[in-house]
Amino acid sequence: MEILVCVKRVPDTAENEIELNSAGNDIERDDLVYSVNEWDNYAVEEAIQIVDKVGGTVTVVTVGDEDADEVLRREMAMGAQNGILLNDEAFEDSDAMGIATLLKAAAEKGKYDLIMTGAQADAGYAAVGGMLAAMMDLPYASLVNMVEVGDGKLTVGREIEGGNQEINEIELPCVLSIQTGINEPRYVGIKGIRQVSGIEIPEFDAAGLGVDPATVGAAGAKTKRVDYFIPETGEGAEMLTGSTEEIIAKLIDIMKANGGLK
Amino acid sequence: MPLIERRDQDFLLHEVFSVSEFSKHEKFADFNKKTCDMIITEARNLAIKEILPTNKLADKENGHPEAVKLENGQVKVPPSFHKPYKLFCDGQWLAMCDDPEFGGQGMPHLLAMAAGEYFTSANCSFMMYPGLTHGCGNILATFGTEKQKQLYVKNIFTGKWGGTMCLTEAVAGSDVGALETVAIDQGDGTYKIKGNKIFISGGDSDLVENMVHPVLARIEGAPAGTKGISLFLVPKYRVNDDGSMGEFNDVETVGIEEKMGIHGNATCTLAFGSKDNCIGELIGEPNKGMKYMFLMMNEARQGVAMQGLGFATASYCNAIQYAKERIQGPNLMKAVLEGDLTGVPIIQHPDVRRMLMSMKAYVEGCRFLVYYLNSCFDKATVTDSDDEKTKWEGLIEILTPIAKSYCTDKAVEVASTGIQVYGGYGFIEEYPQAQHYRDAKITAIYEGTNGIQAMDLLGRKLGMRKGKPIMDLMGEVNATVAKAREAGLEKIADSLQAALNKLGEVAMTLGAAAMSEKALDAFASATPFLEVAGDLVMAWAWAERAAAAKKAIEGAKKKDVPFYEGQIATAKYFYEQLLPTAVGKMDSVKNLTGAIMEIPEEAFVG
Ligand SMILES: Cc1cc2nc3c(=O)[nH]c(=O)nc-3n(C[C@H](O)[C@H](O)[C@H](O)COP(=O)(O)OP(=O)(O)OC[C@H]3O[C@@H](n4cnc5c(N)ncnc54)[C@H](O)[C@@H]3O)c2cc1C
Repeated sequence: MEILVCVKRVPDTAENEIELNSAGNDIERDDLVYSVNEWDNYAVEEAIQIVDKVGGTVTVVTVGDEDADEVLRREMAMGAQNGILLNDEAFEDSDAMGIATLLKAAAEKGKYDLIMTGAQADAGYAAVGGMLAAMMDLPYASLVNMVEVGDGKLTVGREIEGGNQEINEIELPCVLSIQTGINEPRYVGIKGIRQVSGIEIPEFDAAGLGVDPATVGAAGAKTKRVDYFIPETGEGAEMLTGSTEEIIAKLIDIMKANGGLK
Repeated sequence: MPLIERRDQDFLLHEVFSVSEFSKHEKFADFNKKTCDMIITEARNLAIKEILPTNKLADKENGHPEAVKLENGQVKVPPSFHKPYKLFCDGQWLAMCDDPEFGGQGMPHLLAMAAGEYFTSANCSFMMYPGLTHGCGNILATFGTEKQKQLYVKNIFTGKWGGTMCLTEAVAGSDVGALETVAIDQGDGTYKIKGNKIFISGGDSDLVENMVHPVLARIEGAPAGTKGISLFLVPKYRVNDDGSMGEFNDVETVGIEEKMGIHGNATCTLAFGSKDNCIGELIGEPNKGMKYMFLMMNEARQGVAMQGLGFATASYCNAIQYAKERIQGPNLMKAVLEGDLTGVPIIQHPDVRRMLMSMKAYVEGCRFLVYYLNSCFDKATVTDSDDEKTKWEGLIEILTPIAKSYCTDKAVEVASTGIQVYGGYGFIEEYPQAQHYRDAKITAIYEGTNGIQAMDLLGRKLGMRKGKPIMDLMGEVNATVAKAREAGLEKIADSLQAALNKLGEVAMTLGAAAMSEKALDAFASATPFLEVAGDLVMAWAWAERAAAAKKAIEGAKKKDVPFYEGQIATAKYFYEQLLPTAVGKMDSVKNLTGAIMEIPEEAFVG
């Protein structure tokens, strides 16, 4: 099976203190520590496991500048065979539709049976996967937490409201957006890193993709963020801090003290 | 979870030691900057997510389900160690620098050191299992026969089998030459081994299928002392010629110790041949065991220096976080000037700030020392010149006892200060600081006590090759004096030069005394001498760091500015507050006091 996984380089929330920028419409992005969007790691792991079972290749693709090369390389060190970087100044500040437009162009350069995205990324739209499927006129399942490969189709589990589970059959080719917890993404070892150390990752700009620059990037964006703020803590709220264990212990104490737990 | 200051690691790796320059050499071609960064990121990832959570679990008191156990002669490590051990081996982290032919990854030592720092800081007790395993594999890879290499090394370097180092016996601690384990020639190229070894770290474990013990023993009739010691390869289960595992080799774990710290690592008493059925093979030639074992001992000493750094780092990072969160007492200035008595984070109090500063000075100073030492291996590898190679090897020789002792003594000191920053909470086991302190102490004892290291420095390393290594070390420091001057750090350059000259005088005085009738007085000053040598290395480190920071601060990214300012401020602190004390200490060592040996033994009444 030929699988394309769309990945994104995002600020690592574990490594940064996130601050607002001076314009107040985004976070301060200079000097942040970046890593692979968490959901995408699960998607890549799932793709590798499928290929391990039924054969084929995994290709990872990202829209980003030359620094985004590092996330492609990391996912290739994990086990993806190919990487593709979509890099052009014209792509900057694309909205979800712009990103989906670019990914569609990249997908159409190959012949993929299955396209995966993470369920969402740092911007939180959770929109790219669905838009990509619609633009490519492919069936789509979101929040997928189980995949089984059948003949010309997949059986997929989806996480729905209230923690319930739904099982669907979906015909190939299709697009899936992958939920965390579907598997345990593997760690990257030294051998894998060494294997990708000298690899040249192919890069495409707008012309290379055959995309009209006016339809993507800031120029083509039909949604625009106008404000970005951290909500003020209201009265009566208490933020519990500390390690998970400490937070749980405090929470139990509070519940006990208020009669919620006997 | 901070664990280690990644920014500081990157600073040393790239801005001070230029690690990716080694990739110009074909042997290290894979390790360009991107690869180096990825390796550190992934090491950190594994350390924080999988290894760190096991540290406290394994520290729990005996009887706790996570405690190390001995059941029917089989050691059971803390259950939580199994998963990270597998991930660690699967990620090829066990033999980072070794020959790829045997499962190694051919990485520069400097880079491996930075990765290893994460693992060790996360859980030292855990890391001792793969750490000693590596040392054992390295002995066989270096001195073993072709057959021994084929049968053992790959299984060891991939972590399938575990390794130890077996020197210590009840009668042979610091004095390895006194050991009583015997080897009886069977006439077929093998030897029967008989004897008991104690205090063997990771002497047995259920992480692996087989254990491989390099054992020091005396062949019947061999000379007394270290000259008659040979090294034997003794597996727990015999290994057949086709590589399959054979019968039990009569190596029994008869006890595990109760300890002050590093509870997660089983410290074993091993009985070899108590049923007269333990077979060993000679490694290398008879009676040269000490020479071979020194390869492993040097590696272990450098490893212990890293352990010291690991404990100090972990304690320091915790202290920073705590000092920023703990609210207690008003800001002194605001209280006096504005009558504002609102409690503030304790990091604002001058004395707490001083504690953090001294921790920073030693942690980062020791990181420089340990990284520098490891970079010498890589410099020796990439050079074509024999003279250069000898120079770097000499620097490794002379810096090994300094790094082992100084980094571990400072680790205990820093871990103690790390408790102090926490106040009463530091003394409470629910918080992490007490464990680091208890765990750190062993690093000053094993692998040759710090006292033995000081004697090694004074008695062997100082006069080695007519003093060439110490001269080379002074040359390296002098190069930094020039660098500091170039960077406009005149005061630092002058002070470093003066301290270096003084250390030179002390070394001359002590070195001469050690070869005179005052030898005992000289050795009575060996430990303070090693201490001031270490202090000088710290001064060197801070000059080097300040010069690099000064260069980088112009045009630095906004977020990096406080980092570089921190480097320059800590250098200033070191030179204004710590170095003058060290220089005073140099004078005290030069006094070559006779008092220590004059006092009659009878005067010590207990
Ligand atoms: C937890 C733990 C793990 C260990 N792991 C291992 C292991 O894996 N393999 C192994 O082989 N050993 C191991 N050891 C043993 C360790 O290396 C020894 O304990 C150490 O070398 C000191 O020997 P000793 O305990 O007999 O002390 P001693 O040699 O009795 O020393 C007592 C004191 O006398 C000093 N001293 C002794 N001789 C001299 C001298 N000639 N001149 C000046 N001062 C001297 C020492 O510095 C020390 O202060 C371990 C020990 C412990 C506690």
